[in-house]
Amino acid sequence: MRAGGGIFAATLFTPITVLYLSFLLAPIGFFLVMSVFRYSPMELYIPAVTADNFVRLLGEEHYRNIIFRTLRIAALTAFFSLLLGYPLAYFLARTGSIWRGVLMFLVIAPLMTGVIVRTYGWIVLLGSEGTVNVTLMWLGLIDRPIKILETEVAVLVALVHILMPYMVFPLFSSLAGQDPDVERAAATLGAGRWRIFFEVTLPLSRAGILMGSALVFTLTAGAVVTPALLGGTKVQMLGQTIYDLVLSTLNWPFASAIAFVLVLCQFSIIFLYFKGGRRRAG
Amino acid sequence: MSAVLELRRVLKRFGETLGVGPVDFEVQEGEFLTLLGPSGCGKTTTLHIVAGLLHPDEGTVTLGGRDITRLDPQHRDMGLVFQNYALFPHKTVFDNVAFGLRMRKVAQSKIRDRVSRMLEVVGLPGVEARQPHQLSGGQRQRVALARALVIEPSLLLLDEPLSNLDAVLRKRMRHELREIQQRLGIATVFVTHDQDEAFEMSDRVILMNVGHIEQVATPEELYNSPTSRFAAEFIGEVNLIDGTVASLIGDSAVVEAALGGRYAARGDGGALGVGDKVLLMVRPERIGIETSPSANGEAVEATVANRVFSGNTLIFTLRTASGIELTASKPSTAQYRDIAPQSTVWLDLGDCRLLPRET
Repeated sequence: MRAGGGIFAATLFTPITVLYLSFLLAPIGFFLVMSVFRYSPMELYIPAVTADNFVRLLGEEHYRNIIFRTLRIAALTAFFSLLLGYPLAYFLARTGSIWRGVLMFLVIAPLMTGVIVRTYGWIVLLGSEGTVNVTLMWLGLIDRPIKILETEVAVLVALVHILMPYMVFPLFSSLAGQDPDVERAAATLGAGRWRIFFEVTLPLSRAGILMGSALVFTLTAGAVVTPALLGGTKVQMLGQTIYDLVLSTLNWPFASAIAFVLVLCQFSIIFLYFKGGRRRAG
Repeated sequence: MSAVLELRRVLKRFGETLGVGPVDFEVQEGEFLTLLGPSGCGKTTTLHIVAGLLHPDEGTVTLGGRDITRLDPQHRDMGLVFQNYALFPHKTVFDNVAFGLRMRKVAQSKIRDRVSRMLEVVGLPGVEARQPHQLSGGQRQRVALARALVIEPSLLLLDEPLSNLDAVLRKRMRHELREIQQRLGIATVFVTHDQDEAFEMSDRVILMNVGHIEQVATPEELYNSPTSRFAAEFIGEVNLIDGTVASLIGDSAVVEAALGGRYAARGDGGALGVGDKVLLMVRPERIGIETSPSANGEAVEATVANRVFSGNTLIFTLRTASGIELTASKPSTAQYRDIAPQSTVWLDLGDCRLLPRET
């Protein structure tokens, strides 16, 4: 019976394991190796074992700035997604309203249109003759269009919007999964609405907060299209830098080194997430 | 005695459907009152109204003479133990029990003292540092009880607190819970669907059915003198026999029964007239079984259709000449073990209870 269960489980896991091995772990292994190779304009790369790529990445201020900017934008995106997503998720998890289904759909809806479409939408809104500037001028708050595109603000606003579902759903499921009697118990013991929220609801949604933040952080850190279109060359992030190095400059070893650092950052966040989750369980 | 809690004409609807009401009852000082009934009878809704977790659409709730109908739960000064205990899973046992005291801004040193004393009262000393998930079901329940009692509430509310425990523990906790309640002398409202729990623990029982109160009585009254068919059938086993009122004397009646013969029955005869259809109620253990006809010839002749041995009792299925089946339970002593299936016996229905016949 046990062995049968094992074989059954193995059968279930085989397709996803094959997929992950060939399309995730193999490429990671590939650029791990590539990152210690030497770049050559003629032959693309020369097999070697050198730390040159990493030294350059951490040594040149330009690239250091890109790393810090990426981490800063990822952290800020996760933070603002949490700030805006939590009330929404809380409402969705608690409401008995007939609008709940509609609101859930509206949360998912952005996922049904492509990232590029949504990013172009933001270009229309944030451009110098875009809706935001026109409105502000009409209201008399500004005289001339302010520059929003090609700033971190534009990238941040668009990423928060695009990645919102990844924050709301983990939050929603951790809030909806809470036993309503626990909040009721707090009420009967003398806690008002805000006390209940900070003493009970918020700490119990910790898993959702960690999960949502980790998802949004890693997705932002690896974002290419949105920073490229809204931030241009002014707001360069790691993803776009790798993209340019691979397709334009053809410096694969250096691109691999950057990819290595990026994946390291993302894995650290996931590691911290699991560590945080375990502490709660233990 | 004076009433701690009073509910007057309390009614609650959920949209179009009636949750409960109108209900009227009061809880006396130090009393253990049970709301008993099948699921969906409105007992938990009633408890939530008492706790302030629900506000009634109509009626008033008073606590110690003060109208608390619209008061939020955090201002009510009641301790509530939930069916699933609802401990704070992210807090230690100490922080769980201390929660209500912290909300009341009790000094830290006093909190420590009162928490450890209350954990002793519930028989769980020294577990302050544990997490709820490290405790067994029974221990969690004691922590939930300590958390509700440590605030010294004017009323203790228990929402089926024993139903998630295994059978052995459940029986033990019945006595312990009752013992703690009596020691602290705290007025208690207990919600359950289990009549054994209700009987063993309560001073009074309120039997509820589809949102209204069927009967308010002591456990003995409820068992011996139910006032409705629902009450008779919900509490224990019962034989119900169709009959017609032949004559009335005060609250008693003489009933022409479908088994043949006339029987005197006590009950609410006042509302009845001669010729009304009624039910005669006899508990299985009250039916006398004789192996020879009685001298006065009042006994009913019957055949033993079936006999089931269940340890300390024998359960007889008896069929009378008129085709009516009755159940009788007798101690499994030699006297009754000798009564074989298919043999003829004579039944003494003894004290019958008169019940109105509902459609």
